[in-house]
Amino acid sequence: MSTTTARSAAVRRRNTGIQRGRRRRLRLPAAGGAQRRMTEAMVDRMYWRAGFGPTDADRRAWTGKSVGSLVNWMLSTPQQLEGTPAVRADGSPLQPHASDTDLVLTWVDRMARSRNPLVERLTFFWHRHFATQREEVSPPQLMTKQNGLFRKYADLGANPGATFTDLVYEVGEDPAMLRFLTGEDSTRRLVNENYAREVMELFCLGVLDDAGNPNYTEDDVRELAKALTGWQVNDDNPDAAFGYFTRSRWVDGNKTFLGRSGNFEHRDAVAVVLEHRSHATFLVRRLWHEFIETPPDPATLAQLTATYLRGRRLKPLLERILTHPLMFESLAEPNKVKPPVVFAAGMLRQLGLSITDDRVYTALRDMGQLPYSPPTVAGWEGGLTWLNTNTTLARFALAQRLVSLPAKAPEDIAGEAADAAVTRAHTAVGRPWVAPATRGALVAYAGRAPVARSQDRDVRQRALRAFMLGGPDGQVM
Amino acid sequence: MHDDAQGGFAPQADAAHQEAVRCADCARSDSAADHLRPVDHMPIPAEALLGFPDGVPRTSRYNRRAFLRSAAVGMAAVYGTSRIDWTRAFEAGVAEAATGPTQVVMIFLNGGLDGLDALVPLGATDYSVYQAKRPLLHRALGPTTPERVGTTEVPGTSGLFGWANPLVSGTANNGDTKGLDTLWGDGLGGLGSDLALFPAVDYNPPNLSHFDSREYWFSGDLKKLATGWLGRWLDAYGSMDNPLQAVSIGNSVSKQIVTAKAPVAAVASLTGGQFAIERTSTNQIRPVDEIGGLAAVPAGAGNAGLGRSRSAYAQSVDVARKVSSLNGGAAAPGYPNSSLSNRLRTAASLLGANVGVRVVTIDWGSFDTHGNQRAALDPQLRVLSQALAAFKDDLTTRGIEQNVLTVVFSEFGRRIAENQSGTDHGAAGPVVVMGSAVRGGLRSEHPGLASPDRRGNLQVTTDFRSIYQSLIGEWLGGDPGRILPGGPFAGFSASLLA
Repeated sequence: MSTTTARSAAVRRRNTGIQRGRRRRLRLPAAGGAQRRMTEAMVDRMYWRAGFGPTDADRRAWTGKSVGSLVNWMLSTPQQLEGTPAVRADGSPLQPHASDTDLVLTWVDRMARSRNPLVERLTFFWHRHFATQREEVSPPQLMTKQNGLFRKYADLGANPGATFTDLVYEVGEDPAMLRFLTGEDSTRRLVNENYAREVMELFCLGVLDDAGNPNYTEDDVRELAKALTGWQVNDDNPDAAFGYFTRSRWVDGNKTFLGRSGNFEHRDAVAVVLEHRSHATFLVRRLWHEFIETPPDPATLAQLTATYLRGRRLKPLLERILTHPLMFESLAEPNKVKPPVVFAAGMLRQLGLSITDDRVYTALRDMGQLPYSPPTVAGWEGGLTWLNTNTTLARFALAQRLVSLPAKAPEDIAGEAADAAVTRAHTAVGRPWVAPATRGALVAYAGRAPVARSQDRDVRQRALRAFMLGGPDGQVM
Repeated sequence: MHDDAQGGFAPQADAAHQEAVRCADCARSDSAADHLRPVDHMPIPAEALLGFPDGVPRTSRYNRRAFLRSAAVGMAAVYGTSRIDWTRAFEAGVAEAATGPTQVVMIFLNGGLDGLDALVPLGATDYSVYQAKRPLLHRALGPTTPERVGTTEVPGTSGLFGWANPLVSGTANNGDTKGLDTLWGDGLGGLGSDLALFPAVDYNPPNLSHFDSREYWFSGDLKKLATGWLGRWLDAYGSMDNPLQAVSIGNSVSKQIVTAKAPVAAVASLTGGQFAIERTSTNQIRPVDEIGGLAAVPAGAGNAGLGRSRSAYAQSVDVARKVSSLNGGAAAPGYPNSSLSNRLRTAASLLGANVGVRVVTIDWGSFDTHGNQRAALDPQLRVLSQALAAFKDDLTTRGIEQNVLTVVFSEFGRRIAENQSGTDHGAAGPVVVMGSAVRGGLRSEHPGLASPDRRGNLQVTTDFRSIYQSLIGEWLGGDPGRILPGGPFAGFSASLLA
């Protein structure tokens, strides 16, 4: 097909660094987006949407470079952690399997310290997509193992051929998921439909197709469930737990679902599900919305779906989405609400802090997003619902706490003008986006605030920093 | 110094005296039923404190998001047998509140208040025994001097008692214009005589263990019952829907209100909903006002994310302002700077809200003064006297004072003889009931110091259950015989009420 050929050519050109003309770019918006030289605001946008916010080093590295070069780097650079690892309040290392607080903080610490931020961002995406609750899964080592599985399908530098198909295969045999959705209890004598339903409803298809028709029937759920029987968890050694298949527990016989018949086992059955006409658009929309607020138009959706279906690899699909011009929509006034985890890990990066106590954990709980504890198997609702009158307080509380840490104590500058105080505070918190009118309000506050004593000036600096990070403008990306 | 923000108990630094019943539980001295886990966490919406002007939100599920139209001003940890329906809970509370019900506040002084250094026996024989047994600690007659804290005679007690001056109003005493003396009035039980005093309350034979004694006081029986005395009253006469009918101010529910089935709650505070910046004072910055300004900046058309952020912050500012006004602030001045005040403010907000509160419990202080009693006791007495007076004013401002009785008690009194630094566990301590509904004055017999029990403790004149009996039969409503095993209890004559 001609569009396919054109796209392949575009990819080849990009890979060989050949520049194309403006006219050509307009006809191929995705590729055009990839060629665009990034302003600092664009770098910031990429790092917030595909990561946990920029550091100044990130800005220096990428401002002036092309979108495609950054996306390519994110999609081909294996994970590497930098900075100081998290510790407990007493200075000892985290013990993720001794304490659920440490389990959560171990991950948030990775998010804040990952040089290629997309790896942890995608790992977190998979956790939300295949939501599994620690409350229902013991021992905790199973959560860590599942986390590693998600990371394998997020670290595309280490695993460039990663497909969603393989991911779903592995998730279905993952001990934490077998335990959470009670797959380990599903046998030929007692078939349970728990995982069969979710694998279609939440993981691969959705309930309805684009025309509003059901994607599957209750009979499909029942029959699929038979194919998924026989799996169990061996956690004799919690650090090396695994799922395993016992043929005698499996329903051995013909199963008919989604218009196909056969004596399916787990992977055969999932392959049938993934052949469903609704799967590709379902997955594409999910991934798109992770990064971009405005929904894809039908043409874009069709292009992305085609890209995905050509080999079902995640990397080309992600490349298309991340280089799409809509990544940079509303650049002057960010329009996507930061999820609590992104907000918290982002502030650690903005302030150059590492985790030194469990405050981030408490804050995540209060902000409504405790990793490993999604409220339901559908994950977090997210989006605009992140912000309400409770969570705004929790967000501000964390921001003011972090800017008040002794390590961030502001220098005392007597006689500093209001505007200069605002500029200094802005720099100290990593120059986040602040609307011009907001800046005006902050300058007005700084001009009004008492500054006679050094403790007054300390309050003014900390307040300005807390307002920038923890106020309304700090919540969007 | 004894007044930490968490309200935790500061273990005594001094080692136990040889005679001291210095037990492990000295260090863990409150009424919390820590073995219980909440079955639910119910948000308390700002609307609840405002009386649900738009009606109780309806939700078919226990869905916090669906339930909250604006914000939770606090969170109630709910205890009981099963999860509760939030809509039904608040509807039951609103219905109950509409009847203007009687309410009880139980203030438990942790550790065993030394009654004798608070309410000093001034009778001729008593005072000489007191002075002789307490060469270091004893209070002086008359005004406080640099050497020794003095006393102020309690009117209407025929010279039997003097307040230790830290309990009394005045710059040289508690530092305030109000105190137990102003609440006491003439002590004759009429108008303005709003404190009932029971000087030697306990049970026989007294048990000097913190743990056992508290269990008895909380359960209302001399066996360790699984339920609290107020819990049993709630099971018999309370609501099966509304956990806010009985609230412990804190992170766990008090043993006094542990029920077999009725829902009860623990509420740590109603002031969580505030924007605050640490290490600042209100004359340096009012964060809520500044954030209100930032939230008022308009977002661009079609930017739902930023629009939502600014409107959510604006709503938070709105709620924070409402909550501060509900929690007194300018409307109820006079509270001392103390965690007791914070708890009483929270209690007053709940009592005054239309949520059907009948019982509130508060634990406070660190009264296990084995050592260093002079330094440890008086600051707490000052705070207690100021805070009780402020609480009564606060309730009056809210128009509900006539509905509330406040009971102050501790698990035992302390030994008559000092141990040269403090006092050890004793028996028979004072109980005070505050409220304009109460018949004020000295309401039960004083045993005197001349004939202590064989361990050197005050004789018990009033069984603590006789007071509970009146609180149930005369005030909360119900048959005390159903609630308190082994009754009726003799303790004081005539009615608790005026």
